[in-house]
Amino acid sequence: MMNDPIALVLLAVLAPMAAFLLIAVVFPLRRAGRPAAMVSILAVLTSLVSAIRAWQLAGSVPEPIRAIWDWLPSEHGAFATVGVLIDPQSTLMLILVTLVATLVQIYSLEYLHTEPPAALGRYYAYQSLFVFSMMGVVIAPNLLQLFICWELVGVCSYLLIGFWYRKPEAARAALKAFWTTKAGDVGLLIGIVLIYRLAGTFDLLELRQIIESHGLDVTGLGLITFCLYLGAMGKSAQFPLHVWLPDAMEGPTPVSALIHAATMVTAGVYLLVRTDFLFAQTPDVLALVAWVGGITALMAAILACVQTDIKRVLAYSTVSQLGYMMTAIGAGFAGAGFLHLLTHGVFKALLFLGAGAVIHAVHSNEMKDMGGLFRKLPQVGIVFIIGTLSLAGVPLFAGFASKEEVLGATLAGGFMGPFLMLLTAAFLTAFYMFRVVFVVFFGPPKAGAGHGHAANHAANHAANHAANHADDHGDDHGKVHHSGGDPGFLMAGPLWTLALIALAIGGYFTLNHPESEFVLPGWLTPVAVLVALGGILLAFLTYERQAVSADALASAFGPIRRAALAKFWVDDLFEAMYRRLLLGLARVIGWTDRYIVDGVLNVISAWTLDGGDALRRIQTGRVGDYIFALAAGLLVLMFWMGGSF
Amino acid sequence: MPLSAYLTLAAILFSIGLFGVITRRNTVGILLGVELMLNAVNINLVAFSRFHDTEVGMVFTLFAICITVAEVALGLALVILIFRSRKTAIADHVDWLKG
Amino acid sequence: MNPEVLGFWILAATLIGSALGVVLTKNLFHSVLWLALSLVSTAGIFLLLDAEFLAAVQVLLYAGGVITVVVFAIVVTEKLVGETISHTSKRLAGGGIVAAGIVAMVASVISRADVAILRPEATAEATRSIGLLLLTKYLLPFELLAILLLAGLIAASYFARPED
Repeated sequence: MMNDPIALVLLAVLAPMAAFLLIAVVFPLRRAGRPAAMVSILAVLTSLVSAIRAWQLAGSVPEPIRAIWDWLPSEHGAFATVGVLIDPQSTLMLILVTLVATLVQIYSLEYLHTEPPAALGRYYAYQSLFVFSMMGVVIAPNLLQLFICWELVGVCSYLLIGFWYRKPEAARAALKAFWTTKAGDVGLLIGIVLIYRLAGTFDLLELRQIIESHGLDVTGLGLITFCLYLGAMGKSAQFPLHVWLPDAMEGPTPVSALIHAATMVTAGVYLLVRTDFLFAQTPDVLALVAWVGGITALMAAILACVQTDIKRVLAYSTVSQLGYMMTAIGAGFAGAGFLHLLTHGVFKALLFLGAGAVIHAVHSNEMKDMGGLFRKLPQVGIVFIIGTLSLAGVPLFAGFASKEEVLGATLAGGFMGPFLMLLTAAFLTAFYMFRVVFVVFFGPPKAGAGHGHAANHAANHAANHAANHADDHGDDHGKVHHSGGDPGFLMAGPLWTLALIALAIGGYFTLNHPESEFVLPGWLTPVAVLVALGGILLAFLTYERQAVSADALASAFGPIRRAALAKFWVDDLFEAMYRRLLLGLARVIGWTDRYIVDGVLNVISAWTLDGGDALRRIQTGRVGDYIFALAAGLLVLMFWMGGSF
Repeated sequence: MPLSAYLTLAAILFSIGLFGVITRRNTVGILLGVELMLNAVNINLVAFSRFHDTEVGMVFTLFAICITVAEVALGLALVILIFRSRKTAIADHVDWLKG
Repeated sequence: MNPEVLGFWILAATLIGSALGVVLTKNLFHSVLWLALSLVSTAGIFLLLDAEFLAAVQVLLYAGGVITVVVFAIVVTEKLVGETISHTSKRLAGGGIVAAGIVAMVASVISRADVAILRPEATAEATRSIGLLLLTKYLLPFELLAILLLAGLIAASYFARPED
């Protein structure tokens, strides 16, 4: 089995499903809490190992490996199939998903240790279900299976964002996420139906074959790719459907690390990467993708500059980076976007988990409650700075090469506008991320800084994490003292793992440049590095040295700042649409229903009753009247039968 | 006289009887009207029987007369009963089945 | 003039006149007397139609029996002496129109219909054949008629029994 990629991938996908079923069905297991967590972690670890092996095998064959089974029958063979599609892209994505999921689940053991056991069991059930459904999207060989798992991913995100459902903001945020992505999903469904109508199949390999052999009338394809893009817009938080992602920070931080950094939000990007052969036929839609991506990147970067909640900063940063990925795809180079997806998954998860450690120590999300934490949480500080440097795109760190690729792709595609937007966003990204670093980890300590976690054993384990894949972190030391300081092993372990992976990726790509389909102009790399350093410098001057006044900066960009504080009024627009348009329409329809539809019925029934009352008077009870009526009727009958005088 | 004369006579008699049934207030008066109608029918039957050279019509008439007699007897018995319980012989007062 | 035609017109006039008397007279007892006249006239019409037996039966049963019964019923249900019952009705107009309409319709149908003009030869055997038919072909209805009359007799005497 260790040499059969199909079996490996099936094991990887089905292990978390089995864990979910077990936890969901066996009540005592779920209510026990930690045992359920163990089951879930064991399953996802199995998935990780299988995924890595499958990736090794898939890289050695030139053609994708597909295994499908008939599901819905029809006259001309199966209407719908289920199965797996194994190629280097999907297995690489599988590794990202399972890696981040494993680390997040281990991290959650300590982060959520104050949760009651039943809630913990519920959490791990959702986590297992999510991993299964995300993997379903990744290895889906046809659009139908992809859509089903896509929707399941949405459901899991709703469940996980609303994990603390007693909190009204969390419940509302979960609903908002669900509805916003649902708006995009409608587009996706329409696109899938249309392409079936056009091409007669859902299968990705078959579609690619049809397109490449020019067997398809491409005139209707623009609408189809636009509809598919709508689905990606929802899940990958492109403007204007980005509004759910910042609110989704109400969920536990590990959830944000998993879903809103590395996996679910990347599903949209992944979809476009998988269907790039379709989009290649519709350059207009690709141009739209690029421009929207650029606008999203810039807008989100501006919004991140004015946030005071550390998780919101990271959320807007994710939106911005998703814009980067989409712009690269829109420029026609899906490979560059995919590379950025992978690196971003690693360092954004790292940043979220690091922020989680800070929040756990300080018991608050607000940056004004944090300060000078580098002394108290040195390990967290180090890994956070590694993540920030990766996000800013500094050489030797993970994000550097992929960001460069994205910028180069945008230039090569000829999209000057988006390129400038991305460049500005890069500057702002460096600026706001280092703003966070300087405010949180350096500077004067704030009074609200609570106690951190136990003395760390992480130093011993640093040596073990030199390899490129995760070891078994299952052993729980069980002694976690709360006496201030870095977090315990279960949280620190994943942090260090991700940090070292980020360093490894960064180092590798800096030294061996990734192959690209386009030529990078020579001036691009220095410009990009300068932009990043410039942002870092500005942040340093403003927040560390106080040489530049933050207030002066704020007032210099007055109108933009005000707009940013109002989130560019996108949320207000949606709310107005809902309140005015939708509710207004509902009121009109309600009125019509009550007065016209019901009214007609009521009138008819009233007439029937009145008519019956009137007709009742015919029954006088007097024989003479009856006979008279009889005779008159007889006369009429005689007339009717053709008589005449 | 041709057949049509007898038939027309019967028709006139019938409608006079019908008029009587509709307009008379007294129950017995209504029964008298019914008598006239039946009489007209008998004339019709006998006329047809004679003009088509058959006796079957006359037999039919015989039966009709006998049945009419029985019916009158019973009808008057009912009138007497109603008169005894409600003290009225006017048909319009018997309207207890009105809707 | 043909005696038959003369007889017909006289009898027809009597018949219709007495029928009108039945329905238009205010006094109920007078109506009954007019009815007796019309029944006898009908017997005359039967004679014109060579149905002697039926004429006899008509006089016997109708003019004799029915009139008697009706008179007794009137006696029981109405005070005849000294009281004239008002018999005006609300349905005079309607009834008149309907009756007139019906007679007009039927008369028009008759006039357009293809009915015989001349009667076939009369035989003296009418009564004989009636009797034969009654006792052969129509024996069953004859017997049933007897039962019917019996039932009517019992019912009528039960209904009209004296109250205890």
